[in-house]
Amino acid sequence: MSELLTYIIFIPLTAALLVLLTPKTYEYLYRVLTVLCLGLTLVLIVYAAYDFKTHSASTITDETTLQLIHKTEWFSMSMGSLGKFSVDYFVAVDGLNIGMLLLAGIVLFIGAIASWNIGKKKKAYFSLYLLLSSSVLGCFVALDFFLFYLFFEFMLLPMYFLIGIWGGPRKEYASIKFFLYTLVGSILILIVMIGLYNSVYDPVKTAAETGYEVLEVQSLVKDGSIASDKIVKSFNMIHMTNPDNYIPGSFLDSSSLAKVFGQPARWIAFLALLIGFAIKLPAVPFHTWLPDAHVEAPTPISVVLAGILLKIGGYGLIRTAFAMFPDSAYHYSWLIGFFGMFAIIYGALNALAQKDLKRLIAYSSVSHMGFVLLGLAAMTVEGVSGAIYQMYSHGLISAMLFLLAGVLYDRTHDRMIENYGGLAKQMPKYTVFIAIAFFASLGLPGFSGFIAELMVFIGAFKSSGTIGAIPGWMPVVATLGLVLGAGYYLWALQRMFFGKFWVKDKNWIPALKDLDTREYVMLVPLVILILTFGLYPSLLLDLINNSVESFTNHLLSFHK
Amino acid sequence: MLIQNQHTELSNQLAKTGIDLWDLAPEISITGSIILLIIFDLLFKKNKSMGIAAIAYAGLAFTGFLLIQQWFELSETKSIMSGLLSVSKLSVFLKTGFCIGVFITLIIAHRSGEKQKDFFRSSEILVMLFGLLLGVSFMSMSNNLLMIYLSIEVTSICSYVLTGITKGKKKAEAAMKYMIYGAVASAIMLYGMSWLYGFTGTLDITSTTFVAGLNDIPALPLSIACIMVMAGFIFKLGAFPLHIWSPDVYEAAPTPIVAVFSVLPKLGALSIIFHFVNAITISTIDWQLWIGILAIASMTVGNFSALWQKDVKRMLAYSSIAHAGFLMVGILAFTGSGNQAMLFYASIYLIMNFAGFLLVQIFERNTGSSQFDSFKGLGQKLPYLSILVLVIMISLTGLPPTAGFNAKLFIFSALWEAHLNEGHPILIWVFVIGLMNTVVALFYYLKMPYLLFFKTAPQEIQPNTRRFTDWLWGTLLVSPLLLLFFRSDWLVSIMNSINFELWIP
Repeated sequence: MSELLTYIIFIPLTAALLVLLTPKTYEYLYRVLTVLCLGLTLVLIVYAAYDFKTHSASTITDETTLQLIHKTEWFSMSMGSLGKFSVDYFVAVDGLNIGMLLLAGIVLFIGAIASWNIGKKKKAYFSLYLLLSSSVLGCFVALDFFLFYLFFEFMLLPMYFLIGIWGGPRKEYASIKFFLYTLVGSILILIVMIGLYNSVYDPVKTAAETGYEVLEVQSLVKDGSIASDKIVKSFNMIHMTNPDNYIPGSFLDSSSLAKVFGQPARWIAFLALLIGFAIKLPAVPFHTWLPDAHVEAPTPISVVLAGILLKIGGYGLIRTAFAMFPDSAYHYSWLIGFFGMFAIIYGALNALAQKDLKRLIAYSSVSHMGFVLLGLAAMTVEGVSGAIYQMYSHGLISAMLFLLAGVLYDRTHDRMIENYGGLAKQMPKYTVFIAIAFFASLGLPGFSGFIAELMVFIGAFKSSGTIGAIPGWMPVVATLGLVLGAGYYLWALQRMFFGKFWVKDKNWIPALKDLDTREYVMLVPLVILILTFGLYPSLLLDLINNSVESFTNHLLSFHK
Repeated sequence: MLIQNQHTELSNQLAKTGIDLWDLAPEISITGSIILLIIFDLLFKKNKSMGIAAIAYAGLAFTGFLLIQQWFELSETKSIMSGLLSVSKLSVFLKTGFCIGVFITLIIAHRSGEKQKDFFRSSEILVMLFGLLLGVSFMSMSNNLLMIYLSIEVTSICSYVLTGITKGKKKAEAAMKYMIYGAVASAIMLYGMSWLYGFTGTLDITSTTFVAGLNDIPALPLSIACIMVMAGFIFKLGAFPLHIWSPDVYEAAPTPIVAVFSVLPKLGALSIIFHFVNAITISTIDWQLWIGILAIASMTVGNFSALWQKDVKRMLAYSSIAHAGFLMVGILAFTGSGNQAMLFYASIYLIMNFAGFLLVQIFERNTGSSQFDSFKGLGQKLPYLSILVLVIMISLTGLPPTAGFNAKLFIFSALWEAHLNEGHPILIWVFVIGLMNTVVALFYYLKMPYLLFFKTAPQEIQPNTRRFTDWLWGTLLVSPLLLLFFRSDWLVSIMNSINFELWIP
C-alpha cells in the first residue's frame, strides 16, 4: 500500500493529461472525467484516513513512525565543496497532515462539482483544475523540502490562470496580485530552504557514502572528522526537525552564533518562514490579496482557495517554521499570538463594513485564520489541536459559504448586500442553508467551528497560565472577535433575507429560483460533515492527537 | 653562440606550435567554413542559399564533432601556443555550447519567414556569424592579455557588422552607437592592460611572474588598472553600468542575431572575467565587494528597466542584463560549487534564451511585429506554442518545475556556502536582493503569457503554415528545460569532470 499517496497525487495529473488529449468534440467528457477522477481520489484518501493507525506512537522527529511512506531517491549529485546534493521523492502521512489531506480531498471534489457549468474554454479550465488538485494534494503529503517547494510553487501557476481567465471584472489585477504576493512569500521560504539544506545532513546516506555505521556518523560529524564534500546534505523535512542532524557550526545549527542583520540566524530564518506562510494564510497585514482574489475568482476557485489553499499556509507553519525552529517559535510566540488576535478583530471589523457578500466572507476568512495563529502561538496541545481543527472546520464552512454566494451570483450576477431584501420568501431553502452556514461560521455549538474555537481559547488561556507562550489578555481580547462575528453574520442575514421581499432590479425576480439538484449535491454533504465534526470531534482529534502531543513536546523541549 | 641558442629555442617552439595546431582543430574547422562560404559565394551567382546553408550546417556539425572528440581525449588543462591559449575541459564545454547556440541561430533564421532570404541570400551574415563564433571560442581559451584583447575585438567587430548589416535607419544608428561605445570600452581596456604589463613585464596572466609582479604594486594603481580592464569585459557581458548599448542593439538587429548577442559574447566574457578574477588573487583588491555591487546593480537595474518595455526584444535585452548579474553571482562565490553552479546557470541560460528568441521569432513571423500588443489573444490561435512560451518565461523567472529554478537554487546555494566561509558581508545582500528580484522578474516575464492567454485578438490573424516544424523545434528546445529540472544530475555529472583549476601544473 506504500504507493497509495503517490496514486492520490498522480491520478489528477493523469486525468489532466487525458483532458488535454481528448479532442474538443467530446467536450462534455471533461467535467465527467474531472468529477470521476477527483471522486476516486477522495475514495482513496478516505481509505487512507480509515486505515490510519491512530494508536501507534508518533514522533514528529522520527521518520519511522510515519505511515504510508513512499520514499525513493529522485536525484543526487555531487556539487563540489557543497557536498552531495540529494533530493528524495518522499511522501507520507502523520497526524499533522492526514486531516489536511482529507479536507483537500473533500473540497476538491466539491469544487469539481461546482465547476460543472463552466462555460468557456472547458479544456483549459478542467486541465488546470486537475493540475491544481495534484499540486495541492502533493503539497500536503510531501516531506522532502524540495518536493514540497515544487508543489507549493507550482500551485500558483494554475491558480493564476484560473482566476485570470475565468474571473470577474478585475480578474487581471486580482490574479497578478495573488501571484506576486505569494511569490514574495515563497522566495522567503526558498531562502530558508537553501539555508536549511546547507545545514542539515542525512545520517543514513552519509553513512552509506562514507562506509561508517549510522550511529558512528553522528559522532564523527560532531567531531568534524568527515570532510565536507563527503557529507550528504538533506532536504528531508523530518531530518530538519531533529537538532542532532544539524552539522555543528553550520549556519542554522541550534548552538550556532551566526547572526544576520545583528539578530541570531535562527530567529531570522523563523521570521522569514513565518512571513512566507503568513502571506499564504493570510495573516494581517499580508492579507490584502485575499479579498481581491476571492471576489474576482469564479465560485469553484474561491471554494478551493478558501477551503484548501489558505490551509497550506497554516500547515506550512506547523510543519516547517514551528517544527524546525521550536526555540525561535517560543521566542516569537507573543508576536504570532498578537498577529492572530489582531487578525481576528481586524478581519471581523472589516467584514462588518463590507457591502459585497463575497468580500464579507473573505474577511471572515481572515478573521478565522487568526484563530489558527492564536492556537499555534499558545503552543499547548489544546491550542495546536484547535488550530488544526479550525483549519479543517473552516475549510468545510468557507467552502459552503462561497458556494452559497456563488448560487446567488449565478442567478443575478450581483453580490451587493444592499441590493437584496427578504430573500427568505423567494428562496426559502437557500435561506435555510445560508443560515446554517452563517451559524456554523460564527461558532454556534453543534457545528465544527465551535469545537475549534473553544479548543483554541482553552489552549490559549492554559498557555498563559502554564508555559507563558502568550499573555492572558490576548485570548480575552480575541473573544471580542466572536461577538463581532455574530454581529456581521446576523446583520447580513437580517438585511438580505428577512423582512419584505425586495430586489434592486425587477428583472432578477424570475431568475431567483431556489436551489437545484446539483447545488443540493454540493451543499448537503457539507452540512452533514460540518455537523458530524461538530458533534463527534473525536473523529478528527483521534487522528491527529498523537502527532500533536509529540509536536508540542518537541516545541517545549527547548523551553527551559 | 647566443644567437644559436635562441635559434634552436625558436625552432623548438615552432615545432611545438605545429603540434599545438591539432588542439585548435575546432577553430580551424570554423575558419575553414568561413573560407568555404566566401569561395562558394564568389563562384555561384544565383540560387545559392541552399548551398550556403548546407556549408554552414556542415561546418558546424564538423566543429561539434571535433569538440566532442576533444572532450573525451582531453584529460587535463593544456597550455598551447607558447602559453597564449589553454585548452581545458571548461573551454571545450563552453565552445560546444557556442556551437549549439549558432546552430539554433540558423534554425531561428530558417523559421523567420520572409526575412530568411536576407540571411542566406549571400554569405555575408554567415561569415560574420562564424567570425563571432571564432572570437568567442578564443575568448574561452585565452590566457594572455593580448589574446584576450584580440579575441574580444574579433567578437566585437563581427557584432558591429551584424548589427548594421541589414537595411534600415534604426539599424545603422544602433550599429553606430554600439561601435562607438565598444571602441571606447576597448580602448580603456587596452590602456588598463598596458598598465598591468608595465607592472609585471608579462602578458600571461597565469604565469607566476605576473602574480609576483602584482604583489609589489600599491593598491590604488592596481585597482585603477583592474577597473579599466574590467570595463572592457563588462561591456561585453552587458552588465551594469556598461549595458546602455544593449536595448538599442537588441531592438534593431534581426531576431536570430539578437539571440546570438544575448548569449555567446556574454558567456565568453564571463569566462574571461572568471579567469582574470581568479588570476589576480591579491588581497588588496576585494573582488567580492566589487563584483557583488556590480551583480546587485545589474540584477536590479536590468529588472526594473525591463518592467516598462513595450517590445519583447527590448524586454529580453534588459532581462539579459539582469541575467548577467546572476551569472556574476557564480563568480562571486569563489568556490568549486560556485563555478559549477555558474556553468549550470550558463548552460540553462543558453537554452532558455535561445528557446525564447525562437518563439519570439515564430510569433513575430505570424504577426509581423515584436511589440507586446501584437501578441494579444494568440493563445487561442497557437495554443501549443503559447504553452511553450509560458514554460520558457517561467524558466527565465526561475520557478519550478523548470531548470531555471535549479540554476537559481544552485547559484544561491553556492553563495550561501561562500557566505559561511567568512565571505564578505555584501554576500548576504546579494543573496536577499537577488532572490527578491525574482518577484520583479515575474511581473514582466508574465506579460507575454498574460497577453497570449488573457486577451482576445483584436483582428483576425491567420497563423501561417509550417506548424509542424515550429512545434518540433519549439519542443526540442523547451524539453531540456523541463527535463533538467527533474534530472539535473545528468548535466551536473557531465560538468563534474571539468577541472576549474587555472594553474597548469
